[in-house]
Amino acid sequence: MDLARNLKTETVARLHPSQPCTVLPTQPVADAVKLMREKRVGCVLVCEQRRIVGIFTERDLVRRVLSQAKPLTTPMHECMTPDPVTVHPKDSISSAIKHMQKGGYRHLPVVIDDRLVGMLSVKRIVHYLVEHFPTMVYNLPPHPQPNQPQREGA
Amino acid sequence: MLCPSCGHKNLPGDDVCKHCQQPLTPFDLPTPENRVERSVMYDQVKTLKQNPPVTIGQRTTIGDAMALMLSTNVGAILVVDDAGLLVGIFSERDLLKKVVGSVHDYRSLPITQFMTPRPECVTTTDTLNFVLQKMDAGGYRHVPVLENGKPVSIISSRDMLRFLTRLCKEA
Repeated sequence: MDLARNLKTETVARLHPSQPCTVLPTQPVADAVKLMREKRVGCVLVCEQRRIVGIFTERDLVRRVLSQAKPLTTPMHECMTPDPVTVHPKDSISSAIKHMQKGGYRHLPVVIDDRLVGMLSVKRIVHYLVEHFPTMVYNLPPHPQPNQPQREGA
Repeated sequence: MLCPSCGHKNLPGDDVCKHCQQPLTPFDLPTPENRVERSVMYDQVKTLKQNPPVTIGQRTTIGDAMALMLSTNVGAILVVDDAGLLVGIFSERDLLKKVVGSVHDYRSLPITQFMTPRPECVTTTDTLNFVLQKMDAGGYRHVPVLENGKPVSIISSRDMLRFLTRLCKEA
């Protein structure tokens, strides 16, 4: 398994992008917050009939709602980031990583012809990278220090 | 397994050779096969770019923490006590999960009430695979780097991603 080659040849579809959480542009922020908490995700997509109109993330929540002291009843279309960068399932993983690094994004919607099919998170990418060196990462003791500082027992 | 020094045939998984008492554990360590694996196994945390951590005192409020997150444009800040020792981490996720929508008038509440206490940390001399392990298994986006209990840096998943993709490009 050569990571450098796999990054170029393997596609976003190989990562099995997760089911995205969506809200309507007219729904209030409170709905998005509730959904993000329930599904334990950091980001929801604002959609109109499967077409993405915007993205709303934890960062938006802090920057555009809380810091400006807007109420949680503000509709989504006032505080979302419009027209997010998207990827196609056939795009290579390295191109998805490039998009993330360039914009500093943690989430990329996966889209086929304007139709939303999934969500790719940076966590998934980190997991993909770790899968390339399982013995180096998973076969580790819980603490890096090899020896116990004190003798066990009485 | 065959002992490399005397050739005695030992049971797989034995710690020392039954015949000559040579330790056998080093042979169980994985051997890196390419540059990226070698780097993940042997490079220490200090080889990464050191991001000076954004810290805040433990007697501050959520409002202060939010203002600091906004002005420094980070997703997680480290909470330290008077001696500068790390006591917790406060991230956007904490804000989303514990504060927004469930607590009213949260701005004046103490940060210690909502932070994540005792986060998983690494030290500057730990190797990168420990950072990856903590990030992947725990699902953390930020891992603080400590030296004698004091935060000296913070590694985000973005840093890790950047480091690994750059290695791949050079390899």
